[in-house]
Amino acid sequence: MRLGVVCGHVVLNQAVESLRGTRFLMVEPVTAENLAARNGKGGGKTLVVADHLAPDRGELVAFVEGREGANAYWPNDVPIDAYCALIVKDFDFPLLPEQHTLPGTEVHG
Amino acid sequence: MYLARIDGTLTSTTRHETLEECQLLIGRRLDASGRAAAEPVVLLDRLGARRGSTVMVSTDGAAVRRRLGNTTPARLHVAGIVDCVTLAPEESLR
Repeated sequence: MRLGVVCGHVVLNQAVESLRGTRFLMVEPVTAENLAARNGKGGGKTLVVADHLAPDRGELVAFVEGREGANAYWPNDVPIDAYCALIVKDFDFPLLPEQHTLPGTEVHG
Repeated sequence: MYLARIDGTLTSTTRHETLEECQLLIGRRLDASGRAAAEPVVLLDRLGARRGSTVMVSTDGAAVRRRLGNTTPARLHVAGIVDCVTLAPEESLR
């Protein structure tokens, strides 16, 4: 899952049958820098996310990407590849200093 | 699968019903030199990874579905906690 700020909603005029009645959010993914700064900004490329949880605009959500997003509609077959799985209440996320090796890294030649 | 560093945790009161009992962590994907990706990811964990842990992330949603049921949308999960990484020296790859 990635984290994103809800920045709007999408209303469809016409849709394939299996998507009728589905709610769609506009979500802007959050970068680590913006998350740690708690500035309410995203910074990523906005995408459309199907939703059952009804978050408000400005709320932080976690969304699943890939075929798994459609699992929430099982056994119905829906063309959904992004789904809002939770609304974040609080988080603890300091911006850690950059590291330049993996832990315990050994280089063997 | 890829490596990630656990940097934080999150709480939520509204979540998909299949995720209610799950421990959720915030991590950042690492490249081979240990640099963290710009965007964080939310990971399911049942191995007890902590802040600072380097973990192996699996993107296999089917594994999660077998455990949490057919309707679970979750996908990324901690499949292992890394002890050490062995890399070939860069010049040997050329």
